[in-house]
Amino acid sequence: MAPIRLLELLILLAALAGFAGLLLRRNLFLKVLAMDVLGSAVVALFVLLAARSGLRSPILPRSGALLAQDYADPIPQAVILTAIVIGLSIQALLLVVITQMARIDPSLDTASFEPSDQP
Amino acid sequence: MTPNWSSAGTLLTIWLLVPYLAAFLAVLLPSLSHGLVLLCCGATAVVGAHTLLHGTNAELQLLGDFGVQLSLDPLAGWFLLLNGLVCGAVWLEARQQAWDRTGWMLLLVLLGSLNTSFLTTDLISLYVSLEVVGISAFLLILRGQSDNTPWIALRYLLIGNTAMAIYLIGAGLVYAQAGSFQFAALAALLPGAPLVLVLVGLLAKAGVFLNGLWLPRTHAEAPAEISALLSGVVVGGGALPLLRLEQLNAGIAELLLPIAAGSAVLGVIYALGVSDAKRLLAWSTLAQMGLVLLSPAAGGLMAFAHGVAKGGLFLTARHWPTRSLSAWREQPMAWPVLLPVWIGSLSIAGLAPMLGYSAKKQLESSVAPPVALLLLVLSVGSVAVYSRLCRAPLARATALRPWGIWLLMLAPLIGGLWRIGQVKSGWLVSLLVLLLGVAVDQALEWQRRRGPVALPSLDRLPDLLGGLGLVGAGLLLAISAGVA
Repeated sequence: MAPIRLLELLILLAALAGFAGLLLRRNLFLKVLAMDVLGSAVVALFVLLAARSGLRSPILPRSGALLAQDYADPIPQAVILTAIVIGLSIQALLLVVITQMARIDPSLDTASFEPSDQP
Repeated sequence: MTPNWSSAGTLLTIWLLVPYLAAFLAVLLPSLSHGLVLLCCGATAVVGAHTLLHGTNAELQLLGDFGVQLSLDPLAGWFLLLNGLVCGAVWLEARQQAWDRTGWMLLLVLLGSLNTSFLTTDLISLYVSLEVVGISAFLLILRGQSDNTPWIALRYLLIGNTAMAIYLIGAGLVYAQAGSFQFAALAALLPGAPLVLVLVGLLAKAGVFLNGLWLPRTHAEAPAEISALLSGVVVGGGALPLLRLEQLNAGIAELLLPIAAGSAVLGVIYALGVSDAKRLLAWSTLAQMGLVLLSPAAGGLMAFAHGVAKGGLFLTARHWPTRSLSAWREQPMAWPVLLPVWIGSLSIAGLAPMLGYSAKKQLESSVAPPVALLLLVLSVGSVAVYSRLCRAPLARATALRPWGIWLLMLAPLIGGLWRIGQVKSGWLVSLLVLLLGVAVDQALEWQRRRGPVALPSLDRLPDLLGGLGLVGAGLLLAISAGVA
């Protein structure tokens, strides 16, 4: 198996594991961590996409001349930087709310927060 | 494109960025905040109205080929006008609630990020603006006072971010296959996993069908002004990109048709069953967002007509004597509140001469005959839903002056009268639908008095996440069945 295929498979597995964790874990904190696993898989996917054309950092040398063709694609790398920042800030906001909610139920069991009234 | 495009493009960019700058200023100099909010809302409404009146079709590419792509067209014009009006009305109402500077900042950031999400036509700019919309909406929901508030807010952000992570995987795959992040590149691809992942994310943001099951409780539990923002415009941030994709590729519209129709049916059934008035409005939003997605030709007008009416209805919630629909008949409301409730209800139920009527007419004329028949059945259901709200008796006049609600309710009235010339026939059908709807409502009311309706609860956290997975799997199956 080509290494890039293997990496693709691993990233897919990581994304699925994150989604499964979100779905199956009962603890709210672990749910948020699972969301982060999903987010990290997305970041890894973009980095892998960028590496398809080459592994060298896409930075022009001082002379301005392109020395080789095996540069990584800069577009997905640039794009995913924003997503990393957004992911981090959302993670932080969720954890702040979770610390507040721990006062209601320190075990952070999701079921204890679900309201039981009519839909 | 106009000859002096560069200056118009600069103006457009400045207009997009001003709300963010205004948000910072509103925190630093609170005395300016009212003026800044008014300026930004006014400018947004003016840009929207100008686009609609002149039928502008402008594209703008910032920062080179892989940069931000913006598109200003009449479809976006409807959403911009809606955004300006709803945010303006919320400002008018929130002034009486003595919001602090954080509130104004969040309102301005929400306005600005929604404007950006309405204009961009590339997947990554859309991702960024929708995440900013999500974060500011989350912080606004957190301003609520009830015990449930942290849970509702956390659930909103968790679901929204998961949906956007799925969307981002789709965006990455689109880039891998097409070498571009633009909507046009996605629409030109053969339907497959990238399209499904993007759609699942956007459907969750738009609050449609199983992906939108988070919506009813969130919109019902938030404070009245925030609910108006969420149901009025925030759902549009997900709906407009979907409409753009449908516009670019008719196959996507076909793919989404069952989901949109399912959302409309599910929303009406639950709105008929619930016993809480705000929950009724929220379930009706889920139904109406389904109708918006039925056709890109009528989607803009539908979303506008629904947004102004629903925003106004949610704003009246602060002045209701009770939220329980079973006590609705005994609780009188003063005319400044009761009149907007009637206007909004008539408009969303799609009865002449309100704007909702002409929107529904336009929708019926742009879909296939079987879907038009379904629409007719659904309008009977909508009338039955909203006649539940129109039962409140009139109270003695009070000194209440809810200017924001009146501002929003002017839109269905004026818009309806302005478009009434285009609608020659159909009054008889409208009357028939009204009578049938009221009859259905009476029959259901008799049923409800005999015992409470037991609808299954669909919005526990695993249900919401499972809904994302189910819709994604369904879409994939539909695509592979269509290809084979």
